[in-house]
Amino acid sequence: MINIKDFSFTYPTSTVPALSDLDLDVPSGELCVVLGAGGAGKSTLAGVISGTIPHLTGGTASGAVQVNETTVANEDTAHLAAHVGLVMQNPFNQISGARFTVREELAFGLENLGVPRAEMNERVNAVMDELRLTHLRDRSPFQLSGGQQQLLAIGSVLVMRPAVVALDEPTSQLDAAGCDLVFTALSTLRQRGITVLLAEQRVERVAREADRVVVLEKGRVVATGTPDEVLAREELESWGIAPLRYTIAARRAAERHRWPTGRPLPVTLDSAAEGFGGMTSIVTAGGATA
Amino acid sequence: MGTVPSSRIHRLNPLTKLTFAVTTTICAFAVVDYWWPLLIFCVVLVPVSIAAGVLRRFSLMLMALWIPVAVAVFLIQGFFFPEAHHVIADFGPLQLKAEGVEFAVQTALHIAVMMGGFFLLLLTTHPGSLMSTMSERGISPSIVYIVAAALQIVPTLNRRATSILHAQQARGQRIKGLYGRVRALVPLIGPLVLGAFTDVSERAAAMETRGFGATGRPTSLVAMADSTAQRLSRAVMMLCAAGAVTVNVWGVVR
Amino acid sequence: MTLRIQSLVFRYPNGTTALDGVSLSIAAGERVAVIGPNGAGKSTLARHLIGIERPTSGSIEIDGRSTEGLSIAELAASVGFVFQNPDDQLHASTVAKEVAFGPRNLGFPPARRSQLVEAALRRTGLADLAGAHPHHLSFGERKRIALASVLAMDTPIVVLDEPTTGQDHRSIQLLENVVDDLSARGRTVVAITHDMEFCAEHFDRVIVLAGGRVEWDGPTERWLAGTEDPARYAYELPQMTRLSHRLGWREPVGTVAAFLDRLPPSTAGESA
Repeated sequence: MINIKDFSFTYPTSTVPALSDLDLDVPSGELCVVLGAGGAGKSTLAGVISGTIPHLTGGTASGAVQVNETTVANEDTAHLAAHVGLVMQNPFNQISGARFTVREELAFGLENLGVPRAEMNERVNAVMDELRLTHLRDRSPFQLSGGQQQLLAIGSVLVMRPAVVALDEPTSQLDAAGCDLVFTALSTLRQRGITVLLAEQRVERVAREADRVVVLEKGRVVATGTPDEVLAREELESWGIAPLRYTIAARRAAERHRWPTGRPLPVTLDSAAEGFGGMTSIVTAGGATA
Repeated sequence: MGTVPSSRIHRLNPLTKLTFAVTTTICAFAVVDYWWPLLIFCVVLVPVSIAAGVLRRFSLMLMALWIPVAVAVFLIQGFFFPEAHHVIADFGPLQLKAEGVEFAVQTALHIAVMMGGFFLLLLTTHPGSLMSTMSERGISPSIVYIVAAALQIVPTLNRRATSILHAQQARGQRIKGLYGRVRALVPLIGPLVLGAFTDVSERAAAMETRGFGATGRPTSLVAMADSTAQRLSRAVMMLCAAGAVTVNVWGVVR
Repeated sequence: MTLRIQSLVFRYPNGTTALDGVSLSIAAGERVAVIGPNGAGKSTLARHLIGIERPTSGSIEIDGRSTEGLSIAELAASVGFVFQNPDDQLHASTVAKEVAFGPRNLGFPPARRSQLVEAALRRTGLADLAGAHPHHLSFGERKRIALASVLAMDTPIVVLDEPTTGQDHRSIQLLENVVDDLSARGRTVVAITHDMEFCAEHFDRVIVLAGGRVEWDGPTERWLAGTEDPARYAYELPQMTRLSHRLGWREPVGTVAAFLDRLPPSTAGESA
């Protein structure tokens, strides 16, 4: 679980806080998605949970951050590694560069923590199996596609068996196939009961996968709730987040009385299809042939 | 590196091969004459490279790296060797002197043995197993990390430099002729260095979250095969090296 | 300026065929999206347009003139290429200098140069950041600088390689305006993209590459109406296309506007 109370943080080179008066509770095993425009504080939040901020960046922080009942400020980052993992935007920079095969790269963190060899082998094999990396085991990490590299980065975190994983826009630099790999890996995390904080831009995926959504704007939480509650809100665009086409279509249709009165605006394909479904039988007969 | 063919030499413990490289180097330097390093080179290094099936790559690597060094040594020592008197050839203000040339040949051959020994190590050892061996021997994780990262950084930088050059040309930058090439370097270095810095700080964060720098002794995934025969041969090689040093010192003292 | 590609074949030195006989012709002012699964040859095709890769066989003509023998720098006068990773191309100490790099290399006179730089900064929403150091800005902003630096070269053809990746909503909106504006001014826009919303809303024509061949080529609307098996192409179709499929429409649409046009009159809504 993640527990943040009244947290503020300012980078050493800045006068404006990157995060202000932040309160956030994510119960164990939940997937919490953080949305917001570039510079809203999503990456900072991921860094705060993993302890790299402010341990590595410096800057001034106030308030309390607890992850898996460990107070982040009291532990050094290397030891936090056993509780919380961080996956960043650029998969390339998460490769240690000091291991020569996928299998060795996966073991890197375990080696650092002094895990015995037999257990290490077992854990590495299990993760390769879960993330379907086994066929790449003897490949150089540098010879993988972006999606495969990001999968490797997720695997290197998963192998540490953390209770919490923070992912900072892990798909932003990937193509569609790479995205699919990453989202499949995310469901593995959830099956394992891992608490996940995911900073994302792809709202449609969010609507399908998230338990809760938090919207940041200029370092402050401006909205929080289930995907249904948050993603249909009219202010979404003013917070710098692209609304779903389903929602836009239903909102415009509602203005012209073409959306069932009283029905909430849809944020998934299913709810959009249900809402429009009642009134499109006529279209199937005539309109669509136009 | 050294992954495609797999001979008995490939399967040796990296430490054995490292001891081999160090021993041949010490032995070669122990006797100051040119026939001795040449003998070691022909009787020891070349047969080993044939046995390992890497003769071709071994020769290519030597040619690429040893020849420039040898030429430099030859020019510097040949012309500027102190206390040399026998002029072999006269090039105006510069004179090629016999003592210099002799010294240059000796030095170049010594270097050939040194390079040869270490190239054999590199060509027959997977870098991963070399790193594991280093960790197992209790060498500091930071040093192992730096060595390992250095082994991989060149192709990475190379790829990046190529993309940057393409991007610059795509914006009309011409890189024809010497002037053009020099001019293209300026916009190349910026992104390369800045990019490397961003990469390093991001990577540092990623490494910390994977427990790098945690106190306590790290373990190693890959177990390196070792045997009594190998341990024995390492001891013998170290004795040879010690002997060579003794012979050398004794020779100097006498 | 017409772009004509004829029987283009490209093989890597190791013998792998990346492009296997691609022929197409793109007229001035067209907006073309090149889509397809990973490894289909999209990037390789784009890299041929700027001369980073050279055909193994076949030809590329710009305005009737073969590009064979032209250097990348010479092609840059006709083809502006925005790379996927902005960090490979940013090197100057300020955003304005960065954007001026291309026009200076192309030898534009100072007056025209500053005019182009100013316009490019304005269109990409960077006017206020002209004096900032590119490396101090966010990824989205750096990506916009890369775009501005190509716009300032005022080339008749602009090629965009995955322009929406890593971009937030505002940056994508600016990008969309840029695409529409380029096309309105008669410039050709070719985008490699896996962003299907972007493709459906701003491109007139879709070229689907698969296995180094052109699998489909035609108007976007017709492509959307005919697609039924998105999984096959390793991308998700636009939301409105999937919705209209789900509703059983015979001719699925790609955009919200088109979707609303096909909805029945308002009385139907009241009765629901």
